[in-house]
Amino acid sequence: MNADAATPRHSVWEISSRTVVFGAVGAALYAVLGLFSFLIPGTQSVVVRPAFALVPFFGKRFGVIAGFFVGFVGNAIIDLLQGSGLTYWNWSVANGLVGAFAGLIFAYLPPIRSEGVRLVVTAVGALVATALGLLFVITDIWVQGIDFSTFLTLNYGPALLSDGIAVVILTPALDALWEPLSKRTGR
Amino acid sequence: MDVTPRYLGAGSFLSRRDPRVLLLVPVLYLVAVAGIADLRAVLLCAVAALLYYRAAGIPWRGVRANWAFMLTFTTILVVVNSILTSTDTRAGGNSEVLFTIPVTHSAITWTTLSYAAAVFTRYVTLAMVGFPVAFNIAPSDLGVAFARLGLSQRLAYGVDLTFRFLPSTWASLHETIDAQRIRGYEHSRSRNPVKRLIALKPVVVPVTVNALIDAEDTVNAMDLRGFGGRHRTWMRELAFDRADVLILAGFCAVAAAMVAARFLGLTGAVWVP
Repeated sequence: MNADAATPRHSVWEISSRTVVFGAVGAALYAVLGLFSFLIPGTQSVVVRPAFALVPFFGKRFGVIAGFFVGFVGNAIIDLLQGSGLTYWNWSVANGLVGAFAGLIFAYLPPIRSEGVRLVVTAVGALVATALGLLFVITDIWVQGIDFSTFLTLNYGPALLSDGIAVVILTPALDALWEPLSKRTGR
Repeated sequence: MDVTPRYLGAGSFLSRRDPRVLLLVPVLYLVAVAGIADLRAVLLCAVAALLYYRAAGIPWRGVRANWAFMLTFTTILVVVNSILTSTDTRAGGNSEVLFTIPVTHSAITWTTLSYAAAVFTRYVTLAMVGFPVAFNIAPSDLGVAFARLGLSQRLAYGVDLTFRFLPSTWASLHETIDAQRIRGYEHSRSRNPVKRLIALKPVVVPVTVNALIDAEDTVNAMDLRGFGGRHRTWMRELAFDRADVLILAGFCAVAAAMVAARFLGLTGAVWVP
């Protein structure tokens, strides 16, 4: 019996104390670390937010609900502190969906023994979840009154590029460190 | 400087209100100002937002960093999207061209400037009604407020916990940065975003892992206290008083009037002085 077989399996939709606490911790981390971002040189508004990597990480490790909670509540708090309020509520939903998709994707993947392969799969899975979740910002066409071309070139494309860089680099790093700790606690 | 949510407006008129009022007003205000291009209509809504913000009694020194960021970001956004480029502008009609932007060749008319002013005012007033959520609700009231608004009891408690974790997470971040500096960590000055991201690992990773390890204790404590039982009760009882009802009715009236004006086509056009 390997370590993965001993790990208790829970429903991906379960809302336990673990889901609530880790969702809250993740949202607080995302809100605080999310205040640090930097502009990609040569662009007008493409901002890399390193903390975005936390969203698929929490989705993968703590489930669909925790992942959605981290993205949605974390982004809403960042907006609140930066003065945007509820203006970009659909971006908060998109952030939440990234976490939820990450939870769904990794819940149905079989356990991977090789660490190298697991890191690559984590990076690819997180990137796919980001690409799918951020599609929700297509609602900007109705919310902000923009056209499809603006959505693609100024909203979705740059967001996918900047968040994609963050998740590909940082999500596997976080996951690699959490793997031995999660086995130690039997979770 | 700490920019996280704190209970700064304690004792003010707004902080004595039912916390559900502070959560519902930004939603109603967003409904009111969404899609309005007429500067006069936005300024009318701004009066309500300004009165509301004044009632919050948030000390300036506590939120000046938040306002500085908000105003800088909004100014850049509006100037770039509505003046320098045509990402978010309205057609000039027969307005006289005042000048042309050299590189983008955007023609600046009174229509352009009036629309940009309307968008800027809209964003600033949204911040005015949004900041009291972060700075006027007692942290212990958030959970019960969301629960009474219909959110699942467990998720409402999650929102409550998030706001309680923010100050300790902020402190942990600064401790980690200081500890890593002692070990020789320096913030990357590289212009390469990948290098800058990799350079952030020594900060992001320990802060996250420490928070997760501490969270295990919280999970165990909640399990031992039977969290998740069917009949959860809250220490705080919420009830709207007359002032709460009047505030909500006022913002409902503003939202209804603005939505009606939008459907009648009164606020969709840009006002040119």
